[in-house]
Amino acid sequence: MTRIVSLSRVAAPALVLALLAGCTSTNSPLIGGNNVSYGDSKGVELVTNEFGSTDLQKLAESMARSLTQVPSIRGKRMTLSEVQNKTSEYIDTAEITKSIRVQLMKSGSVRFVADVSGMNTQTQELMRQNQSGMYDKSKTKKIGKMVGADYRLEGSISSIVKKSSSLKDVYYKLSLELIDIETGEIAWADEQEIRKTSRR
Amino acid sequence: MIFRSLGRAALIAALSFGASAVAQADGLESKIEQLGQLDNIKVEAIRVVKRNDFLNIQAELSNGSSSNQTLFYRFKWLDGSGFQTGGEEGWKTLVIYGKQRSTIQTVAPTMQAVDFRIELQSPNNTVNPFK
Repeated sequence: MTRIVSLSRVAAPALVLALLAGCTSTNSPLIGGNNVSYGDSKGVELVTNEFGSTDLQKLAESMARSLTQVPSIRGKRMTLSEVQNKTSEYIDTAEITKSIRVQLMKSGSVRFVADVSGMNTQTQELMRQNQSGMYDKSKTKKIGKMVGADYRLEGSISSIVKKSSSLKDVYYKLSLELIDIETGEIAWADEQEIRKTSRR
Repeated sequence: MIFRSLGRAALIAALSFGASAVAQADGLESKIEQLGQLDNIKVEAIRVVKRNDFLNIQAELSNGSSSNQTLFYRFKWLDGSGFQTGGEEGWKTLVIYGKQRSTIQTVAPTMQAVDFRIELQSPNNTVNPFK
């Protein structure tokens, strides 16, 4: 009873105000959402000082932009190789190189061929088309036509963590190298650093 | 006579310098999108050059205050038709120490980008609600 009274005490002036203003709000196309909301996926995330989305975005962006500045790789084929995680925490390093791949593909400066992880499905698809006997021979993709990469992208991410009674400082360094597969020469190398400090 | 011609040359030089400075300032304003008014950080100059078909940008910023300032920034890239190209960039942070001049360097994500805007936000931005 008291709740109804208190609610009506709040609701009545609100209704009067809305009528005076001559407008009313429409219902949003929303189900639930009292404690859940969408945020900016590009915003700077500082929830904790572990490796986060902003770090991934920043590293991928700066590495991709650095790579586009190498004139010798224009129009060449690249493949993703391993990025070793040498930090003390779990980081999906393949996602860093995948983001770099997306940005390089968007830039239109290089092409990518199947990497080690994608090779299995690529082989299976070719085998299925050519060896299952279920496909029209004139419309199958031929075996032996795959193209090799000119360069492979590999590297490592490492971290230095320092703790005091009041501070935790994490320093990340991502080093990437672009290696000419035929000659073994390093065609490009760059590193990006991130420092995150939190109070304990 | 020599002095007069020298003076005239100096005046012409000063006028031409003034004109170019104004033009540069106009160009600067049109490239910056501030989320509010930056109280302590000032964009001093923006240099643009095309290298290897990609737009290269260098922005020079200065912190007028004696305390450290945090700046949030990102670039928007526009193609020849004024459409945003290369996807949405993530926000980045930069700490500028008291009285420091700092530079931001970046490269366009695609060769189609011919123009850009810099979005700037600082925790010390102020907004005039009556404006």
